[in-house]
Amino acid sequence: MRRGSTWQRAGAVAAAVALLLLAGGCGDLSRDELSRGVESLSALAAQGELVANGVARDATRSTYARVMSQTLGGEAEHEAEKLADAEPEAAVAPQRHAAVQLAGELSQLFSELQTFPGDEQHGALVERHMEEVKEQADAVVARLTGESP
Amino acid sequence: MKLILKIALGIIAAVGGFLDIGDLVFNTQAGALYRYDLLWAVLLGTIGIAVYAEMSGRVAAVNQRPVFDVIRMRLGFGPGLIALIASSLVNVLTVAAELGGLAIVLQLLFDAPFSLFVVLAVIGLVIAVALLPFGGIERLFGYGGLLMLVFVVTAIHQQPDWGAVAHGFVPSLSDSKLYLYFVVGVFAAALMPYEVHFYSSGAVEEGWTKDNLKENRLNAIIGYALGGTLACALVIVSGYLFHPLGVEPNDLGTVALPAQGAFGETGLLLALGGMMFCVGGAAIDASFAAAYNLAQFLGWEWGRYRGPKKAPRFTLSWLVFLFLAMLIVLSGINPVEITEYSVVFAVVALPMTYLPILLIAGDRSFMGEHVNGWFSRLLGWAYFAVIVVLAVAAIPLLLMTNGGGG
Repeated sequence: MRRGSTWQRAGAVAAAVALLLLAGGCGDLSRDELSRGVESLSALAAQGELVANGVARDATRSTYARVMSQTLGGEAEHEAEKLADAEPEAAVAPQRHAAVQLAGELSQLFSELQTFPGDEQHGALVERHMEEVKEQADAVVARLTGESP
Repeated sequence: MKLILKIALGIIAAVGGFLDIGDLVFNTQAGALYRYDLLWAVLLGTIGIAVYAEMSGRVAAVNQRPVFDVIRMRLGFGPGLIALIASSLVNVLTVAAELGGLAIVLQLLFDAPFSLFVVLAVIGLVIAVALLPFGGIERLFGYGGLLMLVFVVTAIHQQPDWGAVAHGFVPSLSDSKLYLYFVVGVFAAALMPYEVHFYSSGAVEEGWTKDNLKENRLNAIIGYALGGTLACALVIVSGYLFHPLGVEPNDLGTVALPAQGAFGETGLLLALGGMMFCVGGAAIDASFAAAYNLAQFLGWEWGRYRGPKKAPRFTLSWLVFLFLAMLIVLSGINPVEITEYSVVFAVVALPMTYLPILLIAGDRSFMGEHVNGWFSRLLGWAYFAVIVVLAVAAIPLLLMTNGGGG
């Protein structure tokens, strides 16, 4: 009985530590790593802007626009998952939140481009939004690195 | 006129062999990351492959012995076997990367599942090899690869800062590990071992003799100069368009974006068409190189000109290499990642490929009056020193930069 209760106590402590780590965040996403992740989002948005520009100008092939959107959208989604799963250092938690949101937006925009790869109006709209997402991502990077965008 | 036609071999080797998925990936990424700063590494690699291709072609023309035959003769069985295993692994990875690249381009053109295009690409290549003679294969993929000239026209159309472009040809080093990784990648992509294996075996396939030595020299100079021009154009268009935007071109499809930006759908189709012929041709070259090496090392009958009946083991090994490469691509590994690994691992195998060529081409008892002159000897040894340094640095740089991921 004594032995049992000792084990139970140890188990409870371990569980509490695990919960604390989960709730408080063990900070496995550093400022540098987050910055690199957001830079990747900015790079994806820039590529998306170029693909969307081709759609907007009717200067591309719809198969190309669709497959590229699918590929880049998949990468944005992957980046979003990575950022959402990682526990940020407390100081960069707001930037992590912003980055996850941007990645989600980006994924949505690629999905839209994938659905309408031959629609010039949609292309122009997505191009503008991609540009905005890129600017926001660059601003997040600037906040993280302390450099002006 | 006859000479012009003969030079086609070099042009084809340059475009179909020199410019492959490794060049497409590394040169575009180099431009995006470092603008025009790595043009010197492209130039260095281009001169290097021209020097060694000329030597390997000369050895083949004088003695009718291709590179791997020479490797076994010069290194002996044990070290030769190590060279065979290393080059076969690199060649299979290279074929896998090219097949994956071909499937990606087909997917961008026709939008169907990637794995379907991998299988169709293999079937297409087998049919092309079965139906066309050696010269026909070279012409189909080589001349098709000339569509890549759209990148040269795009570079001119973009009107970059030509002063900055010229400055990029001045060698510069940095303490950035990523920069050094790309120096290795760009240089190695130009000097892939399969290129000289294919070039020298192709010379034997075409029945070259001492009478073809002038042609060999012109092929190496003009052909690889053209290949190098295309490779530089990739860096320039990428540096112009992608660098200021911070684009990270990790997908093969991104390579075509500058041509689309300049010339719309026509530019895009020309770029994708050129890429398709380049990676398709390189898939054939690299798979042939793998089969050539094995057959030459083991003393089997070899050569496309002999046909499957007279060279059954050569033909079978070619099919097996192609099949193995197909399995690697179908396993789901990203072809661009396979490319990066194949190029970097190729660097490690480079000394074993190029040292025997250098030794044989400089051996008067073997080459007679066609032995390396002082200039070839100087260039050859200088390049060999660079190759050894890069071979030592390649894997640590791959690990330290997380495969170029920074």
